[in-house]
Amino acid sequence: MRLFFLFSIAMIAGTAQADDAILYNRDVRPILAETCFNCHGPDAASRRADLRLDLREVAIEFEAIVPGKPDESAAIHRIFSTDPDEVMPPPNERKQLTPEQKDLLKRWVAAGAPYETHWSYVPPVRPALPAVKNSNWVRNPIDAFILAQLEANGLEPAPEADRRTLARRLSLDLTGLPPEPAVVTAFLKDESPDAYERLVDRLLDSPHWGEHRGRYWLDAARYADTHGIHFDNFREIWAYRDWVIDAFNRNLPFDEFSIEQLAGDLLPNPTLEQRIATGFHRCNITTNEGGVIAEEYAVMYARDRTETTAWVWLGMTMNCATCHDHKFDPITQREVYEMSAFFNNTTQAVMDGNIKDTPPVVMVPPSEDRARWDALGPEIAAAKKRVDDRRAAARTEFERILSAGRPEDLAPVGSPEGLVFHAPLDDGTTDQVAVTIDGQVATTQASAALAAEPGHVASSAYRSAAGVTLEFPAVGDFDKDQGFSYGAWIKLSAADQSGAALARMDDQNGFRGWDLWIESGRPGTHIINTWDGDALKVVANEPLKAGQWSHVLVTYDGTGKASGVRVYVNGTPQGTRVQRDQLTSTIRATTPFKLAQRSTQSRLDGVALQDVRIYGRALTDGEVSQVATDARAAYLVARPADRRSDAEKDELFAWWLEAKDQPYRDAIAKLAALQNEQDAIKARSTVAYVQQERTEPPTAYVLFRGDYDKRREQVQPGTPAILPCLADDLPKNRLGLARWLFLPDQPLTARVTVNRFWQELFGVGIVSTPSDFGVAGELPSHPELLDWLAVEFRENGWDIKKFFKLLVTSATYRQAAVTTPLKLERDVQNRLLSRGPRFRMDAEMVRDYALAASGLLSPKIGGPSVKPYQPDGVWEAVAMIGSNTREYRRDSGESLYCRSLYTFWKRSAPPASLDIFNAPSREVCTVRRERTNTPLQALVTLNDPQFVEAARNLAQNALLRGGDSNDGRLDYLAERLLCRPFAARELVVLRDSLDGLSAYYAAHADDAEKLLAVGESKPDPTLDASTLAAWTMLTNALLNLDEALTK
Amino acid sequence: MHPFHEYGRHITRRHFFARGSHALGWAALASLTGSGVLRGPNIATASDAKPNLAHFPGKAKHIIYLHMVGGPAQMDLYDYKPAMDRFFDQDLPESIRMGQRLTTMTSGQKRFPVAPSKFKFAQYGQSGMWVSELLPWTAKMVDDMCFVRSMHTEAINHEPAITYIQTGNMNTGRPCLGAWMSYGLGSLNEDLPTFVVLVANPTNTEQVQAISARLWSSGYLPGTHAGVSFRSAGDPILYLNNPPGVPAEIRRQTLDGLKALNELNYQTLHDPETETRIEQYELAFRMQSSVPDLTNIASEPESTFTLYGDDAKKPGTFANTALLARRLVERGVRFVQIYHNNWDTHSNVAGRLPDQCRDVDQACYGLIQDLKHRGLLDSTLVIWGGEFGRTIYSQGGLSKENYGRDHHPRCFTIWMAGGGIKSGTVYGETDDFSYNIVADPVHLHDFHATILHLLGFDHRRFTVNYQGLDQRLTGVEPAQVVKALLA
Repeated sequence: MRLFFLFSIAMIAGTAQADDAILYNRDVRPILAETCFNCHGPDAASRRADLRLDLREVAIEFEAIVPGKPDESAAIHRIFSTDPDEVMPPPNERKQLTPEQKDLLKRWVAAGAPYETHWSYVPPVRPALPAVKNSNWVRNPIDAFILAQLEANGLEPAPEADRRTLARRLSLDLTGLPPEPAVVTAFLKDESPDAYERLVDRLLDSPHWGEHRGRYWLDAARYADTHGIHFDNFREIWAYRDWVIDAFNRNLPFDEFSIEQLAGDLLPNPTLEQRIATGFHRCNITTNEGGVIAEEYAVMYARDRTETTAWVWLGMTMNCATCHDHKFDPITQREVYEMSAFFNNTTQAVMDGNIKDTPPVVMVPPSEDRARWDALGPEIAAAKKRVDDRRAAARTEFERILSAGRPEDLAPVGSPEGLVFHAPLDDGTTDQVAVTIDGQVATTQASAALAAEPGHVASSAYRSAAGVTLEFPAVGDFDKDQGFSYGAWIKLSAADQSGAALARMDDQNGFRGWDLWIESGRPGTHIINTWDGDALKVVANEPLKAGQWSHVLVTYDGTGKASGVRVYVNGTPQGTRVQRDQLTSTIRATTPFKLAQRSTQSRLDGVALQDVRIYGRALTDGEVSQVATDARAAYLVARPADRRSDAEKDELFAWWLEAKDQPYRDAIAKLAALQNEQDAIKARSTVAYVQQERTEPPTAYVLFRGDYDKRREQVQPGTPAILPCLADDLPKNRLGLARWLFLPDQPLTARVTVNRFWQELFGVGIVSTPSDFGVAGELPSHPELLDWLAVEFRENGWDIKKFFKLLVTSATYRQAAVTTPLKLERDVQNRLLSRGPRFRMDAEMVRDYALAASGLLSPKIGGPSVKPYQPDGVWEAVAMIGSNTREYRRDSGESLYCRSLYTFWKRSAPPASLDIFNAPSREVCTVRRERTNTPLQALVTLNDPQFVEAARNLAQNALLRGGDSNDGRLDYLAERLLCRPFAARELVVLRDSLDGLSAYYAAHADDAEKLLAVGESKPDPTLDASTLAAWTMLTNALLNLDEALTK
Repeated sequence: MHPFHEYGRHITRRHFFARGSHALGWAALASLTGSGVLRGPNIATASDAKPNLAHFPGKAKHIIYLHMVGGPAQMDLYDYKPAMDRFFDQDLPESIRMGQRLTTMTSGQKRFPVAPSKFKFAQYGQSGMWVSELLPWTAKMVDDMCFVRSMHTEAINHEPAITYIQTGNMNTGRPCLGAWMSYGLGSLNEDLPTFVVLVANPTNTEQVQAISARLWSSGYLPGTHAGVSFRSAGDPILYLNNPPGVPAEIRRQTLDGLKALNELNYQTLHDPETETRIEQYELAFRMQSSVPDLTNIASEPESTFTLYGDDAKKPGTFANTALLARRLVERGVRFVQIYHNNWDTHSNVAGRLPDQCRDVDQACYGLIQDLKHRGLLDSTLVIWGGEFGRTIYSQGGLSKENYGRDHHPRCFTIWMAGGGIKSGTVYGETDDFSYNIVADPVHLHDFHATILHLLGFDHRRFTVNYQGLDQRLTGVEPAQVVKALLA
């Protein structure tokens, strides 16, 4: 194979060079690299006898090579030697030289042993276009390069493909989707000379362009939805994926596209978008495994980022030089660690915490909220200022009212509606307790004398004590479907007290009922049918302060869900922990409502209580706040002015503002509305993983053998000496590195990038090893073309759409895929491009194709990743217990039919059907996917419910819209699957097949029903089931046509 | 005449060999496709061209690798340390620990108190191997087995350690042993994959570790050499079953139509990939019957279940996977990888280790005896072991009755049987603390070199060029075949 390439490259070169000229890069270096460099090459550690053959001056100094004099050259002498002690390579080496190779080396030395810098390290210059015979075929410069080589190999290009084929190929290459039949028809009818270009432009403008280009990029970025190692938990990083799609759609030039991803955070005043872009280097796999040594993983993360950067932009295998100097390329181990220093300065902790938003992250509101979100910050600040201003201004007015002593100005607001029970508990000196029940005043006898306590909303309060019970049989008898609220002023005597402050709960009958519960000082509630299977339990996160009065109130909205329970302290809703959330049956208890205990147990002794209230509905936030302040205010107002402390006056002022002062209330309402709006956006938002630099300058250590714990010298950020220097005016950080990649004399970035784009369209790059442009990589099949394209791309401002338009408008691209025996002999892999590109589509395209053709495909772009059909147990089989991506819960509705790049990607178990079609695990950077052809793939497209359902929907559309004749319906299918009508000989097969299937399903109605039930969508009930089943299976087969699976 | 029948196969020798002109392509074609493609009716010479890269005839034609995920405690099972009884609750001497790297789970412990094994040991067989009371079935067959008590690794956490012992490298992205075998020896059957993975569910699930598809990936080898994971629930192979309402005859009918249409397409474009695709659909169809036949253990006589234990009837148990492993090997599958989880006994050794052993003990016995009776043991290498060992000192609370053990890379025990291994061998020795190796260390690269030797490969020469380097399973450090383990 390699020989074949060398041969073909020799043929191109043959147009410019004398046939017997030996070129170092093309002819000599591959031999030396394969056979000699291991011991006499760049790696200092494995070098023998200090001899380097990769550097001409060293080879000459050692007299290994004497230019022009092979007989005096030690190297030539030794490779021809027959003495086992002398011959090179030594006889025990596996790599030996062939007689032809020896002869070539000898002739090369005789010719003066000229060396050349490895081709990829020499900046590309735009080459002249080669002369060609058939110049009529040439549509743009690409074709001249391709044709010159074809002619040199005695081959002719294939004829141009027909318009249908071209429409399909273009649509698949530019959007990843088959063309709409209407687009094909319009193209067929378009007789204008630029019909083809117009179709290209139309497709480049499609929002699916960004999705399709983005998908390739996401492989390189190793984007996925989980952390990767150990628990492999969910990672919410899809904002980055959407940024990539959008960047391609707005045709962000490739230099900016790159700089923002590598260092958007370091740009001056970075926008949110530029920060989201930095998610590129947050896509690496991370761990949270207990027991790991942080430094080991910190090294691994920096290494991954270094290698990925080198693969994607430089086509350099830096990973080969982490343990020792590179064996082939002029990259030292030290240089690799200098590169890694750029990535060794992150604020990100090693442990991902198993959480979905591992810092550093930023919040990302949905795009439609973005403008409002930005405006809200200043608006809220202004609203806060208005509140503060009014508070300051109102103080004088308040003082005046207070001194004027007009009671109506300071009258309590009064209780909200629905008060069904009220016990002020304002007189702890008697065992007669006055209460109001449903508006009726009543007096209840306590079981023993009450204990008194200084009060908060009245002068004296009730204190619970052992032996004293206070109960009210008819009070608080609610059921689970009713909303109700309950609370009181409470003062705990110790910080970790636990028990029931208020309860109507039968603790002898499964704890049926409800309570206001104190758990180690934290207020909360139980609402129970039977503990603990049929119950709600919600407890606040923060404890009450012991020895201090707090107003505690719980509201329940009657929904039977923990989300319908709120716990308030001093009028403010509390953060809570839900401990039980399953309530389905009645909560009515027959035992009485009691203070400071349940029916028999859970006493809360030594606790002071006042102002116990029960409402027959769930109070609103504002009402709770009112209940929490009103009684206290009334108490303070009633007190003589000279007995009010300054603190109490301030308290009263605060109450007055909120309850009485309309300008203040308006200002607060405005502020609250804005804050609510902000909270609502926050709830709709996602986060973006971003890069963030530590303040100190980056450094790294050279690691002996690459081991994290074998540190050698410390190094500063730097770039390899073989490449242009990191100019002084560039910062020594990621931003400097990113800009360095786009310096005018940078030889690799443009070549590597255009090569990858070429690969996306033609299946194989001009360099077939897209991540290795080094000495060990494959040589370019068309070196001049590669350079021409690189220069063209750069000089056109790194314009990606323009570049793709150039590629697809070439005659090379427009060839038919038809081959000939001669071409199979001379160009079996189509590296010479003697025909149009034809290869099996990538995993995502195969699935998207079926969805699009069937009309099921959701047009939605972006958003959280989705979980379409997947066989049971794929995640469970590999995931750890406790991993939050252990159980695959598939989505329903539209999410089943989103484009495949939105499918949730769990790294330790990638989407099963995509995995089988060579989708990578996304654990590491992938710039070239494999393309296998296996029986497991056949099973996916034949049997996966996604494909069966798509077949059924497409069949249904054919029956409903393809006319009444079978041939018309077959045409409908062909148009959508192949963009062409069936040929007569194909129709023979299809009619035969359809007859067989129809006969079977007509006779087996039950099988027809079963088949049609596959998938969530429902078949059209007006269609005959057996007919639809037969057509479904026919379509199922057609979706598996080689032609349908192939671009 | 039907267009399909008009069409004669157009495969010429030239285009056939063009496909297989480089080694990767050749082996790739041979793996998942089975040898079926190579034996097409018009390719008389193809079956002569075995995709076998072996350097010399190997004894092992199959491997069944029983990986005990989490790292079994060697001193509670095979590495008998009676001297420890008098060290109960005494600190591990510094002279033994020698400042060795610990996981951060115990590196913060103030003490490292020795926890002697609470289990009784006895000697068995001609070899006199000491085996714990937890493994009564295994004890019966020590003379069929070869124990290596001196395995060692450098990895101390599960993810890197499992990756290391599977692929020879702690970083992800390298081919695993099964992929290497598939690449090197190709397929022996036409209807099943070359490399099959079975994940057994442990009875106890207190400390289950992550295992992921990356462990059976093909790394830089062609994807066809990746393991195919058979599932214990649902279709054994993903998407194997036809949709409901589609019997085999209907599938056959649709495939016939599909084939005829694909042949027509081939006639127009002459793309060799089209031909390959036609063959792959045929193989898929054959797998639809061969795989259920494989997993249908109802056809086994009752004596099989007496041998493996009744658990073998239950899908997903270790015993069931062991039985399937035998059935796979019988049908020509090269490499069967079984994972059994939950050996990560950081705590509660007393509560968990007996469960773990019960899961595997009789089934291992059944598997080896069964292979022996069927004449398959000589050509099948069975390997049992974890990714590292465990510490003699206790992690967390220690009593005579219960204790925990942390990860320990410096020594652990594995066993092998069949496939050219010298039976009745007990190899390697550790110190009284089962902490350091005192005789005959076997690094995991040596272990890999030895396995490759049994397959017919010189591990130094069994390489594939990736990124310009000749990559090999045993890495760049020197590794040796352990000759003493060979029959």
